[in-house]
Amino acid sequence: MINHHRAGHLLSSYLDGELLPEEATAVQGHLLECAACRAAFERIRATKGLLGELPVAEPPVEFWSTVREPGPGRPPAARLPWPGSIPRRRVAWGAAAALAVGLVLALTPVIKGTVDRLHAAEIGVDLYVREHAFGMSIEPLADRGFLGVVVGDADLVLAGEPSRAGGSPP
Amino acid sequence: MTAAPIVRVLVATAVVVLAAAQINLAAPISQVAPGRILQMALEAPRVIDYEGTKVLTVLRGGRTETITVAESHKRPAAMRLEYLSPEGLAGRLIVDDGTVTWHYEPRLNMAFEGPALAGQVQDRDLTVLLRNYRLSALGVEDVIGRQAYVIALDPISQGVRRQLWVDRSTGVVLRTEERDPSRGVILSAYFARVSFSLNLPEAYFQFRLPGGARVFKMFTTEAGSMSPAALQARVRFPVLIPPVLPEGYTFRGGALSRFGGLESVHLRYSNGGNLISFFEAPAGSIGWPGAGQPVTVGGGPARLVDLGYLRVLIWEQRGLRVTAVGTVPTVTLETVAGQIVAGREQALIQDVSRRVRSDPTTVRTLRGEGLTFLEVARSIALSRRLGTDLPTTVRFVRGSLTAGDLAGQLGMRPDALQQTVQGAIGDAGGVPAPATVR
Repeated sequence: MINHHRAGHLLSSYLDGELLPEEATAVQGHLLECAACRAAFERIRATKGLLGELPVAEPPVEFWSTVREPGPGRPPAARLPWPGSIPRRRVAWGAAAALAVGLVLALTPVIKGTVDRLHAAEIGVDLYVREHAFGMSIEPLADRGFLGVVVGDADLVLAGEPSRAGGSPP
Repeated sequence: MTAAPIVRVLVATAVVVLAAAQINLAAPISQVAPGRILQMALEAPRVIDYEGTKVLTVLRGGRTETITVAESHKRPAAMRLEYLSPEGLAGRLIVDDGTVTWHYEPRLNMAFEGPALAGQVQDRDLTVLLRNYRLSALGVEDVIGRQAYVIALDPISQGVRRQLWVDRSTGVVLRTEERDPSRGVILSAYFARVSFSLNLPEAYFQFRLPGGARVFKMFTTEAGSMSPAALQARVRFPVLIPPVLPEGYTFRGGALSRFGGLESVHLRYSNGGNLISFFEAPAGSIGWPGAGQPVTVGGGPARLVDLGYLRVLIWEQRGLRVTAVGTVPTVTLETVAGQIVAGREQALIQDVSRRVRSDPTTVRTLRGEGLTFLEVARSIALSRRLGTDLPTTVRFVRGSLTAGDLAGQLGMRPDALQQTVQGAIGDAGGVPAPATVR
């Protein structure tokens, strides 16, 4: 048997077919005996009918990120049974994401190598001129004031600063 | 008095004044030997402190740039440079305590720590310099009210000519001028004001990091010097050794340079007055620079970046990107590069060993020490003529051992040694020589 209060809480789940068989039998028995619960049941069914006619809205992107990545202190999402209950579209998206991650991992060394190479080409002349200037510093007649200009300018370029403009037509 | 006689008097007066000035400029040439004056100039930084304002004019990318810098020097090797102009340089500070150099840019609040820039001159430097330059005394002139010996250093093979104004009482170089035969003056520097014997405080040559400054450690080269053979053991790519260089250039040192993912071998060759650097890195680790103009080396594509005082030639061979940097004529860089590109190392080892009647292993070993093929041939021939061991002979050929010291060790008269050396040079004839390298 089920009391009136408990039956009232289970009416919505009963309507959606979400109750265990013994619970559904108990609610069905109570509805046969209780007019108030039958009236409540009919109101819930009417409301759900109206809700069913509303268009389906797509959740915002942030919603999925919060669902998939629970924050600290937030309980992890319940594990879904595999594979029957997962929509095909999600499987396709998952496969595509996995492929993308795989491609990124595979291409990272190539991309990094290319970027390094381009960067080295950009700074290569300055790096080598700087090294040469340090080599000149042990030459007996090299002017240290001039070497300070060469090394200082190269330092700035190697640190990512633009080359120093200057000079005037001879 | 009419106007015409007044003009004549003024002209006559001007002629007399100018003639007197000319006489003063052409003061009797000093009796001090130019070699002694050069030695004074090289030793001065070890024995005297000075501070002054220096004006530099340097060729920079087809233009000239005038730079003013407050330069202080504390013996033996501490240095402080504060740049005053032009605007883009103003405020730059370089402090070298003889061990490390700090470079500070106030407008960016950035500081860079790197190796020492104020190197000390070694005896070998003077030996190599004197072998490769003709020294001449040009007289005595006034520089900022001080008497200065004027000496010229003309390279025996083509290259940059230098003129130095050396303070008569301290030996400090008050003025310098470097002249490229094809471009005229490429660098001049003179003190507009200078003070000596100040006993400058140590603290002035210690860098204090300003608050909040970003610090970059710029030790891109390993300390010390390595031979090409030692470098070859450290890297996974072939190290190319220049087979031929202009007369007088000898191996000065090698190092491994690392910056980010770029690893390069750096070989330095000097004639005592000028330096040529070669940088070698895997071609896959460095692209072509955007700057410069396309040229060809050994029929292949290359790039020449003319920075003014320095020229940079970049080419590719055997999967390597090779970069040569130096203050030498473009044609010299291109000729040297062409010899490297030819890639006849093994053939030349066989050829030279046959010509000097030595085994290829010895030739290969000496190449691994950075000697050009001509130096290899001369070392072997001279070692045989003098009966000296190869390491000693190589030290002599490279300038680490003077002719006087070697003659003393062998109990020979210097002129006899000179004759033997000439004979050895004759024995090495036919070996790839700098005749093709201008």
